[in-house]
Amino acid sequence: MKILQRIILLLLIAVAGPGLADQTLAPVSPGVQAPEFALQDTNGKTHRLSDYRGKPVIINFWATWCPPCREEIPSMNRAWRILENEDIAMLAINMGEDEDTIFIFTADYPADFTILMDRDGAVIEQWPVKGLPTTYVVAPDGTIAYRAIGSREWDGEELLEKIRGLKK
Amino acid sequence: MTLRLIFQHRRLLCLLCGLLPGLACADIVRGVNADNGLKSWHFTDGDIEIELIQRLPDQTRALFMNHEFSREVIEELATSCMFQMIIRNNGTSETGRPVAIDLTQWRMRHAGKVTGIQLKEPWLESWTDEQASPAAKLVVRWGMFPTRQEYLPGDYNWGLTAYGILPGSEFDLEVFWKAGETVRSGTIDNVQCAPDVDKLK
Repeated sequence: MKILQRIILLLLIAVAGPGLADQTLAPVSPGVQAPEFALQDTNGKTHRLSDYRGKPVIINFWATWCPPCREEIPSMNRAWRILENEDIAMLAINMGEDEDTIFIFTADYPADFTILMDRDGAVIEQWPVKGLPTTYVVAPDGTIAYRAIGSREWDGEELLEKIRGLKK
Repeated sequence: MTLRLIFQHRRLLCLLCGLLPGLACADIVRGVNADNGLKSWHFTDGDIEIELIQRLPDQTRALFMNHEFSREVIEELATSCMFQMIIRNNGTSETGRPVAIDLTQWRMRHAGKVTGIQLKEPWLESWTDEQASPAAKLVVRWGMFPTRQEYLPGDYNWGLTAYGILPGSEFDLEVFWKAGETVRSGTIDNVQCAPDVDKLK
């Protein structure tokens, strides 16, 4: 009986834990154009979303004080290392913080992808973001293809395949 | 034996209940973090999971002192019974339904009165730029839980929620959500606001 209870318990942990939720990217209604922006990165270079037209763009809204944002940075970095030579862009838009704060943060959470700064929160207000982190995947034609609320394991093959699929 | 098994594995049964629309079956697990002593309340009903984790007033002070808030505003925030809240839609993309949360519908019972919870909008509207700079307001705007949000299967969000009562107080929280077209609710009893520093020991 004890063995049976242990098996049931293991099943419970497997089924009822947080890992139950899909590592999904939810499709967005077709045809929604991604709002344009022009933001500086931490080196002062300006990036426009339209600069990336023709390739899938992962756009992640985050802040250093947001626990789930911190949680997903390592997997984002691993995903970036996989994707950086695949003509896919990754832009992490920090909400409301300055270069120094981000610099100190990235000492603990290395991030090789581009970090942009939305200092006054004007850009995030143009997007349908309700909470941090929220991530959108913009298709090569500039429409929003997918969105994810909350952190994900970005280097998961299922997610990467969905993003790669936008190139076809 | 059967009853004991049902009790022991009620969480699995609750998950099964979630597959049958209209069948209410909530599970609440109370916990204490062994490292810091903070208490948590973990509510599960079908695909929805709501977790409330105590925040010490000092944790809230530390968060907001790094931004341009007046002392009075920091104290108001710190002593408003803040919790870290996590909401998940644990449905799968095959079987799950969207879950909509509207915090204006939530009710708390404290000292014999039933009221709404403290939302971020009245705070943001009430503060002058001297009390909270535009940059500081962004931290409340994005750090506190969204008042209304829809969660597709797999989505989850973290954020602060406030209940507007003193540190150390206790309340019952009635939570509402919409799963597909069905409005559901559940009650988390005896939620305790974290005490302030002088009450710790």
